[in-house]
Amino acid sequence: MPKQILIVDDEKIVCDMAQRILTQEGYDVEAFIDSTQALDRIRNKQFDLVVTDLKMENVDGMAILKEVNQLYPDTKVIMLTAYATLDAAIEAIRERIFDFFPKPVKIEDLKRSVKKALGS
Amino acid sequence: MRILFAGDEQPYSAYALKEAAKLAMNTWADMTLLGIQPGGGAAAAVDPALNLALTRYRESFLNAWEGEDSPYAMTNWQYEWLPVKEGVLEEKLVCRGSKKDFKVRLRLGNVAAGILAEAREGGGDLIVLGCSRSGGSQWAGSPGVPQKVAADAECSVLLVKEEQPITRILACLDQTHVSQSSLEILNQMVTLHGAQLEVIGLNPEGGLKKEVYTRLIEVGDYYQERNIKVTTRITEIADFENFIAKETQQDLLALWMGKKSLLQRFFPRDWVGRFVAKSQTSVMVMR
Repeated sequence: MPKQILIVDDEKIVCDMAQRILTQEGYDVEAFIDSTQALDRIRNKQFDLVVTDLKMENVDGMAILKEVNQLYPDTKVIMLTAYATLDAAIEAIRERIFDFFPKPVKIEDLKRSVKKALGS
Repeated sequence: MRILFAGDEQPYSAYALKEAAKLAMNTWADMTLLGIQPGGGAAAAVDPALNLALTRYRESFLNAWEGEDSPYAMTNWQYEWLPVKEGVLEEKLVCRGSKKDFKVRLRLGNVAAGILAEAREGGGDLIVLGCSRSGGSQWAGSPGVPQKVAADAECSVLLVKEEQPITRILACLDQTHVSQSSLEILNQMVTLHGAQLEVIGLNPEGGLKKEVYTRLIEVGDYYQERNIKVTTRITEIADFENFIAKETQQDLLALWMGKKSLLQRFFPRDWVGRFVAKSQTSVMVMR
């Protein structure tokens, strides 16, 4: 059974690109540009990996990370951010994040990180 | 993001490492610390002074993080079979499991060529190196290294001249090529230093081209949308050298490089090297 990945990013282009690339890699991918909908989905289904943007309207990436950690300690989280916020990287690691990327993310780097996270 | 720090045993390299570490901490960059030993030969002994410097840089970089907070922390020790020579394997205890790559490397040979080759082969996004503030921005014993690296690298280059606060970043635009990576690296530098950002359009004789002016506005808007206070202004390209010499004090001078650079046409011969040498403060060449 393919590994289950959820992607949430309010930039549609990032969402679409990541979904297309990871689907090509053989993963089962669900993508959301609305973080509230993504959070609802997370509450109803366990994913192997969640790829989330940090700054989003409504629910931000840190809230997604905390929710995933609370509900599914085995689910890995990769965070993307286009903002050079101080201390976000430190806070992310304290919240048991698997990987952290400032945007723009290179496709190869994302693929490599996903592979590492899923042990595939 | 991949950062390549190139260092020798001089104090400016220690300053540059601090900048590289700050950037790495905020971006979880894959990191390579590189030493270059002039001379050749595969079996050459490592110069003790350079060896000591690289050891200090490694310790200083890794100690910048607190324990488990480091994405470079090695947590997964395991035995693996590794080849020791043709037809022979040995079971060795190795440590894997860091979230991000961290390497310390030594190259032998020409210094600038070695740095450029490492960045190219390792897919570097940013090269960070130090250089002397006085005497035309030099690396000890290797003339023209910072100038050559800044001019010929395929990625962005940060030249750290001295440990000093950066209170203002002067980002100069004379053409339309502005990559997303360059915007983000500049964003990081502004945030890390809490610096003011000033975007400067360089005006050639006959006036700024419409498309360059439009790009200048777009760059300003990009940062304003991210709540970064930015001012824009236009300065004459003919006065640029004077501007650098006079205005840059506690500043970072940042230059966007593109194939259609007006500066290249205005100062055709080694203009990047010329400005790197002329500037009294740190310089970032963005690609």
